[in-house]
Amino acid sequence: MSFADAAPVPIEADTRQSPNFRALRRLMRRPVAVVAILIIVVIYGAGILAPWVAPYGFNDADFQNRYAEPSLEHPLGTDSLGRDLLSRAIWSAQTTVIVSVAAVLTGGLFLGVTAGLAAGYAGGRTDSIIMRAADTFASVPTILLVLIITATLLPRVIDLARDVEDLTGADWIVSSGAPSYFLVFGALAIFGWTGIARVVRSQVLALRQEPYVTAARASGAGTMRILFVHLLPNLTNLLLVAFTLSFGALATAEVGLTFLGIGVQPPHPSFGLMISEGVGLSNVREHPMLIIVPGMFIVLLVMSFNLLGDQLTDVLSPRHR
Amino acid sequence: MPAGLATYIIRRLLLLPVILFIVSFATFSLGRFAPVDYVEIQAGPRAQPETIERIREERGLNDPVPVQYVRYMGNALTGDLGISTRYQGFPVADVIFPRMWITMQYNAVVLVLTFGIGLPLGTWAALRRGTWQDPLSIGVFLFFASVPVLISVPLLQWLFTVKLGVLPSGGWSEAEYLGVELGIFSKHIVLPVLALTLPGVAGIARYMRGQVMEVLDQDFVRTANAKGLKASTVVTRHVARNALLPIVTILGFELAALIGGSIFVETLLGIPGIGLLAFESIKSRDYDTIMAIVLVGSTTFVLAMLLIDIAYGFIDPRIRVEGSIE
Amino acid sequence: METRRLVLTLTGIAVATIVVLGGLGAILLASGGGDDDGTTAGDDAEDDGLGERIDNELRLFGPDPITLDPACASDAGSAEYIVEIFSGLVSFDLDLNVIPDIAEDWEVSDDGTVYTFNLRSNVLFHDNSRPVTAGDFKFSLERALNPDTQSTVGEVYLGDLAGSAEFIAGNADEVTGIRVIDPQTLELTITEPSAVFIDKLTYPTAYVVDQREVGDATCFEGGGWTLTPNGTGPFKMEEWDLGRKIVLTANTRFHLEPAPSLDRVTYILSGGSSFVMYENDEIDITGIGSVNIESVRDPNSDLNADLREGPSLNVFYIGFNTREAPFDDANLRNALSLSIDREFLAREFLLDLVVPAKGILPPGMDGYNESLPDIPFDPDTARDLLEEAGGAGVIDGATILTSGQGATPSDILQVVLAMWEQELGITVTIEQEDFGLFLRDLDDGRFEMFSLGWIADYPDPQNFLDIKLHSESSNNEAGYSNPAVDALLDEADRETDEATRLELYQRAEELIIEDMPWAPLYHGKANYLVKPYVEGFVIPPFVIPNLRYVTINR
Repeated sequence: MSFADAAPVPIEADTRQSPNFRALRRLMRRPVAVVAILIIVVIYGAGILAPWVAPYGFNDADFQNRYAEPSLEHPLGTDSLGRDLLSRAIWSAQTTVIVSVAAVLTGGLFLGVTAGLAAGYAGGRTDSIIMRAADTFASVPTILLVLIITATLLPRVIDLARDVEDLTGADWIVSSGAPSYFLVFGALAIFGWTGIARVVRSQVLALRQEPYVTAARASGAGTMRILFVHLLPNLTNLLLVAFTLSFGALATAEVGLTFLGIGVQPPHPSFGLMISEGVGLSNVREHPMLIIVPGMFIVLLVMSFNLLGDQLTDVLSPRHR
Repeated sequence: MPAGLATYIIRRLLLLPVILFIVSFATFSLGRFAPVDYVEIQAGPRAQPETIERIREERGLNDPVPVQYVRYMGNALTGDLGISTRYQGFPVADVIFPRMWITMQYNAVVLVLTFGIGLPLGTWAALRRGTWQDPLSIGVFLFFASVPVLISVPLLQWLFTVKLGVLPSGGWSEAEYLGVELGIFSKHIVLPVLALTLPGVAGIARYMRGQVMEVLDQDFVRTANAKGLKASTVVTRHVARNALLPIVTILGFELAALIGGSIFVETLLGIPGIGLLAFESIKSRDYDTIMAIVLVGSTTFVLAMLLIDIAYGFIDPRIRVEGSIE
Repeated sequence: METRRLVLTLTGIAVATIVVLGGLGAILLASGGGDDDGTTAGDDAEDDGLGERIDNELRLFGPDPITLDPACASDAGSAEYIVEIFSGLVSFDLDLNVIPDIAEDWEVSDDGTVYTFNLRSNVLFHDNSRPVTAGDFKFSLERALNPDTQSTVGEVYLGDLAGSAEFIAGNADEVTGIRVIDPQTLELTITEPSAVFIDKLTYPTAYVVDQREVGDATCFEGGGWTLTPNGTGPFKMEEWDLGRKIVLTANTRFHLEPAPSLDRVTYILSGGSSFVMYENDEIDITGIGSVNIESVRDPNSDLNADLREGPSLNVFYIGFNTREAPFDDANLRNALSLSIDREFLAREFLLDLVVPAKGILPPGMDGYNESLPDIPFDPDTARDLLEEAGGAGVIDGATILTSGQGATPSDILQVVLAMWEQELGITVTIEQEDFGLFLRDLDDGRFEMFSLGWIADYPDPQNFLDIKLHSESSNNEAGYSNPAVDALLDEADRETDEATRLELYQRAEELIIEDMPWAPLYHGKANYLVKPYVEGFVIPPFVIPNLRYVTINR
């Protein structure tokens, strides 16, 4: 469930400076990849532009028009309160964008890379400490701990945010759901960094022995310089793919966490919330659109990211050079 | 057994108590940090605040957290996992082990099916590269690997219980076979197994396909092919062995994914397994049950990972054992 | 071709996996033979895991109880089972009258404080070991009150007993208000006369348990005895598989008429959709909600004839924090209440599954005031009142507290909010909290508005008006305080003449509705599907033992 659990695809370490733009050109020549990118751009774009793109507000209820069939007025129908499902899906896409940003900001994507770099490069005691920590975190049932953290810490974090609101007069903080996003994805980050850290570490271990790194070290280059100038660029391929897959996994994670009652708070809609509203067997039977609409968006998005990840792996792999 | 491996195993086993200490203390303190505890939740609206406070005091909930922790762990070490409050007054052990048994049963079936179908399917797909089956199989795998259980379960449930009317809508049942209560032959197991196997098979097949293709592209396989060796010999001798290595790692991921997936499947289908219990315990702040689930879960997971690592060591003795194994 | 052979081999492995699993299944199925119930493994009856279905059996989908210890249960989900397994001095019949149960009859002293119960001599515990005596009641009641038992509700239901406060404080070894006159006579003394004391004795807290079985088990420790509870109720526990099922069998020696007719009652505690289970004949009775109700109401539906409806003693409302501005202003509260279209809410939005509220007390309860006028939907008056209260600005941006976790807050609340926005131009936001936290915030008065429901513990207006709206009640979350109402409620509490008492409550209710500390929304109804062969099943408006009246007639 956690985004870093998505098995990072092992990629051959490319020891030369990678001609990234050539890879990109190769990527854009593949119709499948282009379609995937288009789907992602459309869904994310619609989300970012939701206030302008969505035909209705996410909470515009029309009680005379509940559970409406798809029509010109409501292209995908309406829900139990007569809210336009297409609009809610578009607003949900915005939530997905926010969630991804929150995940990046809370360090979910970078914690693992940094830890892996440090462990692999420094070796010795540092390596051992970091990897033992990774073992510890990896052995915890992640979803349980995230559930516990949210159940216990969230009320307190929200209280805190309310105090901040009172002090600053910024009354949008809690209602935007920001505190819950940050707590949930922060928690995910704490438990989710281990997979990527291991992969990065092993790559660094291999690269460290490369002549050009040894040469750089001999010529007196500093650690930071070696790490960021010589090692990191050679990990781009690996990270690019891992991040692509992470964004898909993130969207799935949001759905799951929201269903369990943590994460996104109403009234701001999210795919997880929409799915939770349509998930009961009676609902699926009487009003299938309630689950099909958000389900379609989520599956499209996750499929596109997975597809893109595959295609990236392909074009970046050394056998194409 | 290689000498290095023995040291490695001992080292890992020595690490286990440390991991358990950190995990248990974190879980324990987090639980106690909740703004509302189980006494208050269960008391409901009618109870007097003074009564709640009195019970809290008597149950030691007002003691400092480290004191409570030491008390809990002291008992846990003697085998007493505490008392459930979701099932008021029942020993935690009586509550969690029957539930775990249920979850283990259907997950075991899922694991067997996932690997039993996924590995051959992925190899097959790799060998069909360049034919019309290739894009089709990729598409199908990709689709099933991308559908979250939260969407697939309700749809499967609708299909099999409402539309076809062949399966119960949820729940769990067991019957006695050779003296053991087993649920793996009942109709109730079909939905959870299907829901978890579909993405599992798709994921493994996708992974295996990539692995096999990579090996097929390697020089020694090309050479073997060029030498005119039979395709089946090449595959069994070179490809399978090299592709299987990372699969052992995948087993670990698959295990972790199952633990997560169980919560959703059990909640949606009303299966009284450990996932549903965990979810309910957290909601009702059943401290001791949460602790026991986390402790037992972490121990099982660490030991399983260790076994996987050992297996890895046997398959490929070149692995450095002094560090963590990738 | 080599590749083809390979493909065949691979397919073979996959097929083999399935075949081996399936074959193993078949072998075990064949060898499984019959289990204790004599069922054949593999046939349909076995497959639901509930044992063979016998003719005279009722199957239900039930809530997963928290406890079956009568002294400890504080929720309806637990009480549902306890009232069938255990019993007390008195209970309710289906018409909601208090009837003698283990007590044969009772006398109340002239000053209304001393109750003398004569116990039946033929009431045995389920294991038939011995008759129930007054001493058993003394033990059971004192156990519920004993602080060591750690019951959260003992004091709530038995705190009227003289000497209970001293006992709870640890200053007395026994409750002086509980006296054993002789094995068949029990005398209970309360501190001041109360019309509802006898009602409170119908609650599980006052039920009798077997001292020899319970020993010193508390609410939080030693709960194992409830797996085989030695009760006195109409049904005996046959099996409790935690979280999975509860099986009850008839207590053939039950002391009241009618004795249970069902041989067995099986509750399934976990599963998918109870509606689908009902359709598939897995269960005989199911509740039904708004999603399915329309298809069932369709006269062409197979299920249409099974639909039953009954009153349920509850009220759902929006409460205001009357202690603080701006909600200390009755005009504002009335403005909000008048701009809610209750007819629409109940009839169209909730599809007649509920009735619109015109007061606090639900229909079907003693003292329900038929002649109370409907609360009108009158946006014009509402706007005028809002102006008098200072205009929309005073409450715009207020929050309404509700319980829930993450998932959508009730649609109903959103409808109400939309009505306010439309009619009064005010925006109110919903704030959701964990149930426990929600209750605490209500207790502490940390809210502006809240939405909540209240369900009867016993069918008496006191249970709604006195407990929820008396200024000194700890359950008065709204902080409502009106001396005139308090006076009426106090007078009703002391009044012994039933008609006068109900009239006092009705007058109090009228005053309350004028002040509108709550905006009552609607009263839920019980909507059920009942299989045609199930007879005598009456939907209880709150938890009362009702299974002994049920017969199955195929």
